[in-house]
Amino acid sequence: MIRLTFSGVTKCFDGRTIIRNFSAEALSGQITAVTGINGSGKSTLLKLAAGLLLPDTGSVIVREDGSVWRKNDRCRRVGMVAPDMHVYSELTARENLDFFLGFRYNVPLSDRQYDELMSRVGLQPDAILKKRVRNFSTGMEKRLHLAILLASGADVWLLDEPGAHLDRAGRCLVQREARRAAEEGKLVLWATNDAEEEAEADASIALSGR
Amino acid sequence: MKSCEKGLWLFILLLTAGLFYAVFFFVPPAEGLGSLVRIAFFHIPVAWGSVIAFLVGAWYALRYLRRPGKRFDAISAESARLGLIFVVLATLSGAVFSKLTWGAYWNWDPRQTTIFVLLLIYAAYLTLRSVITDERRRARVSAIYALFSFLTVPFLIFIIPRFYFSLHPSPVLNGSGSIEMDPVMLRVLLLSLLDVTLIYIALLGHRVKEVHHHET
Amino acid sequence: MQVSLYRAVEAVFRKEALISLRSRASWLVVLMFALTTLSCVSLLMQGDVLSPRLAAAMLWVILFFSLLSGAGRGFADEEQEGTLMALSVYGSPQAVLFGKGIFMAVLLFALSLLIVPVYLVLMDIPVFSVLLLFAALLAGTYGMAMAGTLLSALMVGAKAQNGLLAILMLPVLLPILLPAIVLTAGCFSGEAVRISYLVGMLLYDGIMTLAASLLFDFLWYED
Repeated sequence: MIRLTFSGVTKCFDGRTIIRNFSAEALSGQITAVTGINGSGKSTLLKLAAGLLLPDTGSVIVREDGSVWRKNDRCRRVGMVAPDMHVYSELTARENLDFFLGFRYNVPLSDRQYDELMSRVGLQPDAILKKRVRNFSTGMEKRLHLAILLASGADVWLLDEPGAHLDRAGRCLVQREARRAAEEGKLVLWATNDAEEEAEADASIALSGR
Repeated sequence: MKSCEKGLWLFILLLTAGLFYAVFFFVPPAEGLGSLVRIAFFHIPVAWGSVIAFLVGAWYALRYLRRPGKRFDAISAESARLGLIFVVLATLSGAVFSKLTWGAYWNWDPRQTTIFVLLLIYAAYLTLRSVITDERRRARVSAIYALFSFLTVPFLIFIIPRFYFSLHPSPVLNGSGSIEMDPVMLRVLLLSLLDVTLIYIALLGHRVKEVHHHET
Repeated sequence: MQVSLYRAVEAVFRKEALISLRSRASWLVVLMFALTTLSCVSLLMQGDVLSPRLAAAMLWVILFFSLLSGAGRGFADEEQEGTLMALSVYGSPQAVLFGKGIFMAVLLFALSLLIVPVYLVLMDIPVFSVLLLFAALLAGTYGMAMAGTLLSALMVGAKAQNGLLAILMLPVLLPILLPAIVLTAGCFSGEAVRISYLVGMLLYDGIMTLAASLLFDFLWYED
C-alpha cells in the first residue's frame, strides 16, 4: 500500500501564494483526481508530489507499508506525464525509450515488447521507425510519453492533464491505462479539468485556488 | 545584546585609533623599506581579512548544504561581500607598495596572483548570486560554487609559487620557523590582525542581522 | 547497483553522442570556433616565432574558450527543450553528471587532437615529447570537461548565461591550466619538466570528479 500525503503545504512563486496550507492524501489502487480552476496549482501540486519542487512550508511524503520513501526511491519509482515535460526531439521513439529505460536502470525492451508497447499506446511501430520525435504531432508525442511511463514500471503515476491534445481514442486510452494501473495497485494522481475524466476517478482532491 | 554590540564597536574604535597612533609614531622604519613599511600594517591585515572571510564563507556554504537555512546562506553571502572589499583593499595597497618599492604596480608575483585569484572567485560568486532569482536555488547554487572554488585553493597554493617568480617579502613566519621582526612591529601587527578580525566579525554580525530583519 | 549505474551513464553518453551527431551544429560550432581563433593567432603573428611558453599558453587559451563555447550548451539545451524535467523525474543525477561529463571530455579531447596538429604546423613548433603532450592534453581536457559540466549545471535557471560561464570557470580551472601550460611548454622547448606537474593535474582531476559527484546530488535534489 502506497500512501501519498500532503500536510500543511504552502508554495509561493515570486511572492504569489499558489497553494496555501493544503492537506490531502492519495492511496494506491485507485485513481485520485486533482481538480480546480486554471491557476489553482494543479501542476504545482503534481510537481511537489514528484519531488521536482519543495514546499515552502509543510511536507510531501510518500509512505509504503509504513516506511517513508527516500529521494532515491522517488527518482526510481515515480513516473509523470505533463505538458511542460518533453522527450528528446532529435531522437526516435525507440531511442527515447531505450534512453529513459537505461537511464532508469530498467531492463531494455526486446523488439517484440517494443512493438507491443507501441501498439498499446496507439502508435504504429513501422510508421515511426525512423521518424524523429521532432516530426511527431503533439498527440503522438503525448502517446510516447505514456509509453515511457508504462515501460518505466513506475508505482506512482502523476498525470497532468494527460487528455489535452489527444483525440477521443487517445483520451479513452489514457483512461483505460490509468484504470489498469490502479487495478495493479499503483497510485494514480490525475490533474484534470474534464468532467468526464473527473467522474472516472475514485477519489478527488479539490484545490480552491488562491 | 544591543549593548554588547555597542561595546564591541567602541572597543574596535579605540583599538583602531591606538593602532593608527602606534603605526605612525612607535613603529621604527624598517631596514631597506624605510617608512613604507607602514603600508604593511594596513596591507597584511586586510589580506588576512579576505582569507578569513573566504574560509568562513566556505564553512557556512557547507553548513547550508548539510542543513539548509536562510541564516547560513546570509552569512556566506555577506562574508563574500566583506571579503570582496578586503581583497580589493589588499590588492590596491599591495600594488601601491609594489610600485614604491619595486617600481611596478603589478608584476604577477605569486602572492599578487593568489590574491587576484581570490578576487576572481569572490567576483564570480557574487555575480552568480545576482543572476539567480529563485531564493532557494540561489542559496544552493552559490553554496556549491563556494565549496567547489574552495577546493582549488590548495592546488593554487602549491602551483602558483612554482609558476611565478617572487619578490614579495617572506611571510612573518618563514620556513625556518623563527620570527625575524622587530618586537614592537610584531606586536603592532598582531594587534592589527586582531582589529581587522573584530571589524570583520562586527560587520558580518550587523549585516546578517539586517538581512534577517529585512525579511521578517 | 554498480552495473546499472554504469548502464545509466552509458545511456546518457549514447544519448549525448546521438543528439550531437544529428544536430551537427553543436560540435561544428566548437570546432570552427577553435579553428578560427587558431588561424587568427597565426595570421596576426605574421610568421613570427612564439616562445615555447607563449605558444603553450596560447594553445590552452584556445582550448579553454572552445570548452566555453561547447560546455555552456550542456544543460541550457535541456532546459530550453523541456527535457530537464523528464531527466529529473526518471533518473539518477550521477548518471547525468558522468554521462555528460565524459561525453564532454571525449569531445574536447578529440577536438584537441584535431586542433593541436594544425596549430603545430601553422606556428612551426617542434614537439620533443609526443607522449607527454598527449598525457597533458588528456588530463587537462578531462578536468576541464568535468568542472565545466558541474558549473554549467549551476547556471540552469540563471538569467544571463553566456558570459557567466567564463567568469565562473576561470578561477576553478586555473590549477589545471597553469601546470598544463608548463608541461606543454616543456614539450615544445625540449627542456626537462618535472613530472610532478602531471601528477598534480591527475590529482586535480580526481578531486574535481569526487567533488562534482558529491555536490551534484545537492544541486539535483531540492532539499
